[in-house]
Amino acid sequence: MVFTSFNFLIFFPILVIVYYLAPVKFRWHVLLIFSYFFYINVKPVFSLLLAGVTLSTYLFTRLMDNTKIESRKKVFLIMNIVLILLPLFFFKYFGQINKSIISLLESVHLRWWLPEIKLILPIGISFYTFMAIGYTIDVYREEIESEKNLGILALFVSFFPLILSGPIERAKNMLPQFKSLKKLDYEMVVQGSKWMLWGYFMKLVVADRIGIYVEAIYNNIPFHNGTSLLFASTLYPFQVYADLGGYSLIAIGTAKILGINVIQNFRRPFFATSMSEFWRRWHISLISWLTDYIYTPLSFVLRKYGIWGIVIALLITFMISGIWHGAALTFIVWGLMQGLFLSIEALLKNRRILIEKKYNLNNKILYILLGICLTFVLFASSQIFGRAKNLNEAFLVYKRIFTTSGPLFIGNPSAFIFSIFSLSLLLIKDFTDEFIPSGFLLFENKHKFIRIIAYSSIIILILLIGVFDGGQFIYFQF
Amino acid sequence: MERTELVSKLTAVFRKVFKNNSLNLTNELTANDVDNWDSLSHMLLITEIENTFSIKFKLKDLNKMRKVGDMIDIIMSKL
Amino acid sequence: MTGDSLFIFSFSIMLIKKIILNLIIVTVVVLVLDFTIGRTLRHFYFKETSGFHFRTTHSMEKTEADILVFGSSRANHHYIPEIFEDSLKMTFYNTGRDGNGIFFQTAVLRSALKRYTPKLIIIDYYGEFAKNEEAYDGLQSLLPYYRTHEEIRKFITLKSSFERIKLISEIYPFNSQILSIAIGNLEVNKKRYDDNKGYVPLNTVWQSKIDTISNYQIYPVDSGKIIALREFLDLAKKSEIRVLVIYSPIFQKFEKKQEIEICRDICSIENVPFWDYSKDTLFINHNNIFRDVQHLNNNGAKIFSNLIVNRIKNDLLNAPLNRRVEQKH
Repeated sequence: MVFTSFNFLIFFPILVIVYYLAPVKFRWHVLLIFSYFFYINVKPVFSLLLAGVTLSTYLFTRLMDNTKIESRKKVFLIMNIVLILLPLFFFKYFGQINKSIISLLESVHLRWWLPEIKLILPIGISFYTFMAIGYTIDVYREEIESEKNLGILALFVSFFPLILSGPIERAKNMLPQFKSLKKLDYEMVVQGSKWMLWGYFMKLVVADRIGIYVEAIYNNIPFHNGTSLLFASTLYPFQVYADLGGYSLIAIGTAKILGINVIQNFRRPFFATSMSEFWRRWHISLISWLTDYIYTPLSFVLRKYGIWGIVIALLITFMISGIWHGAALTFIVWGLMQGLFLSIEALLKNRRILIEKKYNLNNKILYILLGICLTFVLFASSQIFGRAKNLNEAFLVYKRIFTTSGPLFIGNPSAFIFSIFSLSLLLIKDFTDEFIPSGFLLFENKHKFIRIIAYSSIIILILLIGVFDGGQFIYFQF
Repeated sequence: MERTELVSKLTAVFRKVFKNNSLNLTNELTANDVDNWDSLSHMLLITEIENTFSIKFKLKDLNKMRKVGDMIDIIMSKL
Repeated sequence: MTGDSLFIFSFSIMLIKKIILNLIIVTVVVLVLDFTIGRTLRHFYFKETSGFHFRTTHSMEKTEADILVFGSSRANHHYIPEIFEDSLKMTFYNTGRDGNGIFFQTAVLRSALKRYTPKLIIIDYYGEFAKNEEAYDGLQSLLPYYRTHEEIRKFITLKSSFERIKLISEIYPFNSQILSIAIGNLEVNKKRYDDNKGYVPLNTVWQSKIDTISNYQIYPVDSGKIIALREFLDLAKKSEIRVLVIYSPIFQKFEKKQEIEICRDICSIENVPFWDYSKDTLFINHNNIFRDVQHLNNNGAKIFSNLIVNRIKNDLLNAPLNRRVEQKH
């Protein structure tokens, strides 16, 4: 089941009731059972894989803690990482690698035949795999003791709010919380509910609506002119934000209702004034993971090359980020673009700081606006590769944007208006949160009456213009 | 090296890397408190420290540096 | 229980009461808003006098035409009522609706037959038997009628087993429709009483060369759709109504299509004529009578409607109802 299914709307309240009725010391057991139940409902056979990853991680981390020999610890580290990554590689990349090998060999007239296996990706595998790897590395680095309780570790890997699509959490944050679950906290329940409600709005009303429009254009690229393609490409980043951001908010809200604090995944990313700031506000849990476990070790090893070491580390890190998103070449290009943008920013940083100081640019609204727009344009242009089916299509989009124009494709006028309307609501809320944090509060208003009206209005809005039939969640093939 | 001497040398390094001549170090100072101290400039800082004090950090050391106070302790342990 | 845990327990009870109280307050406010807004939407939905909503309502609740044509956009844009009425001297209504499949069509038939017995029913069957979501999503068009039309409820529950719960909301049946209902109630549209008898002409011309499909694609079949088609045909036959299945022209070249074969077989079993125009050279050699690959434009519809009318006059109306009719192009 997924968060936006009716099943979940029944599952979750039942869970909450059972959870809070249970004695505190059994609450994590309740979570574990419900998490596996949740995952089995998504795909029964893959819960075996989940259990396998958990077991392997448990064994190897315990082994690591029980040996004093450094080299042996390293062996255990590598063995667990390889073991955990195998299924991920197999399910996610086998098909693509197979195809690439075949076409490569065919170009030199050799035949290589492997059966074409149609593989369904176990849902969430990219997420829980990363969480398990992060934990393993933390144990290796002696930042956390290996968890003796297999059940608690199993809960960490399978925790249902996080398993399908993150945020990618750390053992350091989660394990202590699981071991000391608190009694019912009214504020947390209320805050979690608000997050869930707004998350549903973002997903069902904003993301899925925009998605229908963008799909109509991106599924038929040859039939659309540059104007429509430009507009769709401008909308797409907002769709992803509302989609993954909304879904993350539901996840975080769900955990909060259960008394558990999970890291925020998005922080009003479109107000960033540079790409490096953007990546501190967008998919925060993923970037944080990549920084701690890939970028930092890599840039450390390469530090004698100074700024160029950093550039290489950035390119590799974001290429891995691209690959994590998918096996296609388009994702690799996407990743490289991110790495490129950040590298250029890093290289120009000192000069930029000087100019900013000289003309006091950081306090000028126009400069800030310029930064925001430029950052958005860069990100949106890279997202064309994220959305197009293949490189040819992506290049076609670019070509058309620069060479053709024409009337803007509207499609279904109602849907178009709903998209713009709901997106505006989202952006206005983000704007006021960012720049006027104590004003225009609706969910946080001090008058209970206004709060109640606000909650009710959002629910009514979801009923009025939410998308109820299978607006697919982009990050589900992860 | 005495701690105070270390701190003043370290302050010079920070001021050079972050281009801020009024920066002062405290034990509780973290990356959040200093403009332009992010993961991109962190490694440059580390290299500069290694060169100034003629020491070599291990990756494990990096992860233990949560604030400037930790950093000072670790540098001291290597001298 | 110890004193401490008793205190915690009663404290928790207080919090739980507070939470439940707030939930109830929000629920009540939502229900009130949902009721008022939903009822308003319902009122204005049924006040429309043109457009999709009106035509479906008319098909289900008002029409008493002698001849009805059912189907998706291909039905809606291919069969011109005037041509049928002028030639056959019988009243005609086009119930076709864009984006709606066999479940919708069978539901509308049920509602119509509950009220009267037409003389002839044509179903323009595109033959979408594949397992996909669209036919089920299209059932959204039926939601406003759930309340008053018992006979179509089983189709709506095909969408999902939770539809009944969702329909507690007064707004839900009109999800995404608020703007079209508002526009449908503007004076200009109220004045425009739909007298095209359900038919909507398409006016542009298709410029590309004909599509050629070289492989015979076999896909998994949704048996629910086959059952629905057979129910459609059985319903008509049970009321002693002549029924006719037509595959109208399509701007594609192909050898075989799985859905046409299935349709042919079903019609054979059901003893119902199947008129297949998918390869008729009168159409596939001329791109200018098509609006796009799947739809004739108004000119094409004129030609096609006349063709069908003549064939009905010659083949169908002269033959007794239950005689086995040959399948020919």
